[in-house]
Amino acid sequence: MAAVLCGTLAALMTGALAAPAAAEPVRETDPPKVNFVLDVSGSMAERDIDGDTRMNAAKRAFNDVIDFIPEGVHFGIRTLGADYPGDDRLGRGCVDSSQLYPVGPVDRTEAKTAVATLAPTGWTPIGYALQGAVRDLGDGDGMRRIVLITDGEDSCGDPEPCEVARELAAAGIGLTIDTLGLTPADSAVREQLGCIAEATGGTYTAVQDTDQLADRLKQIVERTAEVRVETPTVVDGADECADAPLLGAGVYSDRQEFGEHRRYRVQVAPGRELRASVSVAADRPMNRDHGVLLRLLAEDGRELVRGSTAGHGRTDVIATGLRHPSDADSEETLCLEVSHAFSAPDDVQRTPGMPVELTVDLVAAADTPSDVAAFGLARGWIPLLVLTLTGLAAGILWGLIRRVLA
Amino acid sequence: MTHTPRARRPFRRPLGRISATLAVCAALMMGAAAPALAEDDDTGETGTGTGSPSAVAAGTSFRTAGVLEQGGTATASATIGEYLYWVFPVAAGQNAEASATVTFRDHGARTGPSTWRLDLYDGLRRLQPCTAGRAEDTVDAAADTLVLDCTLRTVRAWAEPWANDPLPGAYYLRLTAVDLPEEDLGLPVEVTLEVGAEDAGGARARGGELPAPLVLTNRAGEIDPTAPADGEESEDPEREEEAGPATGAGALTEPETGWNGGWWSDRWLWTGAGGVLGGLAAIAGYTLVRRPRV
Repeated sequence: MAAVLCGTLAALMTGALAAPAAAEPVRETDPPKVNFVLDVSGSMAERDIDGDTRMNAAKRAFNDVIDFIPEGVHFGIRTLGADYPGDDRLGRGCVDSSQLYPVGPVDRTEAKTAVATLAPTGWTPIGYALQGAVRDLGDGDGMRRIVLITDGEDSCGDPEPCEVARELAAAGIGLTIDTLGLTPADSAVREQLGCIAEATGGTYTAVQDTDQLADRLKQIVERTAEVRVETPTVVDGADECADAPLLGAGVYSDRQEFGEHRRYRVQVAPGRELRASVSVAADRPMNRDHGVLLRLLAEDGRELVRGSTAGHGRTDVIATGLRHPSDADSEETLCLEVSHAFSAPDDVQRTPGMPVELTVDLVAAADTPSDVAAFGLARGWIPLLVLTLTGLAAGILWGLIRRVLA
Repeated sequence: MTHTPRARRPFRRPLGRISATLAVCAALMMGAAAPALAEDDDTGETGTGTGSPSAVAAGTSFRTAGVLEQGGTATASATIGEYLYWVFPVAAGQNAEASATVTFRDHGARTGPSTWRLDLYDGLRRLQPCTAGRAEDTVDAAADTLVLDCTLRTVRAWAEPWANDPLPGAYYLRLTAVDLPEEDLGLPVEVTLEVGAEDAGGARARGGELPAPLVLTNRAGEIDPTAPADGEESEDPEREEEAGPATGAGALTEPETGWNGGWWSDRWLWTGAGGVLGGLAAIAGYTLVRRPRV
């Protein structure tokens, strides 16, 4: 009898040891693509990086990076200000951007030869070049990255580079723009490149020397190659639950303007748990305080559960999440509501809205609360005393019974 | 009260057999428990087997976070102002902690003091408070390094859906400068990060179980899923056989104890001891009042 009990107990324990793994495979996506946009404007002839010209520093770094590019990453180069040296700024200088090396599997020799031909020439039409760089990247659902290397701010003004970046990011094509400034002391350049990076979730680097430039470019290429995530599905949340799009498990992206609420519907089967997380990105200059609220509403508009957070200071995103194990008898359609408390100074662009990333997950998981303690086990002197006294009482009682019966 | 050996025998035999079996059973249980105990004592941290430093690159968002193991170390070169993300697994009943060292590589180019912060988020990307450690600190322009650390609350095995309690699953770390002079943006820094988790002990061994760890999917979503009931099957790994390697939080390895923290805690010893004491007390009580036989 005791042996059976012991065996069962042991079996239970071994069973408890084997818990499910969380490995989650992802679908194969198109190869990641990275397009370098290099400034070849006249100012690149200045000698202030390691005693050499900015152009030569960039070329050396490019040669390093071209050798480094891993298989499976598609690579391209676009130039800006490489062809037109004249004074016709608006007519020709500001549309001077061309594809130097098409985006595709890299041929290292050809790419290096192409880079070697560059000489500092013209104007700096950054916005125009970014639009071209996106066209170069073409279609596909892989990661897309543009790396902008420049020494000066945009000298054309139209289209405004940061607005271009924000619009490209809002197109929902999974685009990131990393910027590298060769003149870190110039505040206008820093501000503009910082704005472009912020608008697309990219990074800004103030380049100090050639080695740093090469290392940084390699790091960016490496990130593109190693981290492969699917581009979130673009969704358009509605004002009302009734019109809201129906979402399955997965990652979605949307845009949300200041003061706007976005709603989405999710179907939850009985015995399943809905998990949702939302992050709203601060892709433009914001006021100091911010917050986000994610609410889950029942079909009749009742709030089931909420996730919220608030903070202040510099941030890239503000995120929160919630979980809701379904206790309904039948499948129910619930409504997720996203609102945020970002605000911005008056001169900040209002549209497109801030990027919202919504992750919905449905796991097979009945909510099974149990005892507060592990396996209902006791711990401490009081349970020991209680058990001992109970045993003593039982022994005495049994002894008395025996006495009466005998 | 005088006992004759004869009178005791009929009772002692079965009792002796049962107690012997129980003793064997207890020994077996202890045997099974011993490795777990020894492990806890020896390493202090679970999952430190592969604790050798590795250059786990930082990610730039929750979804691209660099994946670490418990006891893992990561180094990354980055720029001031960048948002660096890592993710690591924590099981129920563990106290997780993270520490980051920021080494400035700007050779005195910084112009003013900057404030850095290490944030911990749970699998649902809810910000989790630090119970100990200095998660936010300010350094002046001349400082070479900065150390930040954060200890998480004990991860619960189960919590009500309305609670913000930490649950087993992915834990995201975000390191960034939260306040800095605009001129210092983009300057180079080197970051070393360490994460670890240790067993919180029997006093914090809780019941309940989260059926699946908090690890959100990283796949692109589907609007208007074709069959509403396909939620049942969409989790089936068989349906994803064309899938490639997992990324982000999906690539996390389960902690050695299992997401739910394993079965062992010193509560087994306490409860077992209580049972033994109860048994002994029962025998003593019985002996005390048993009708003396002459």
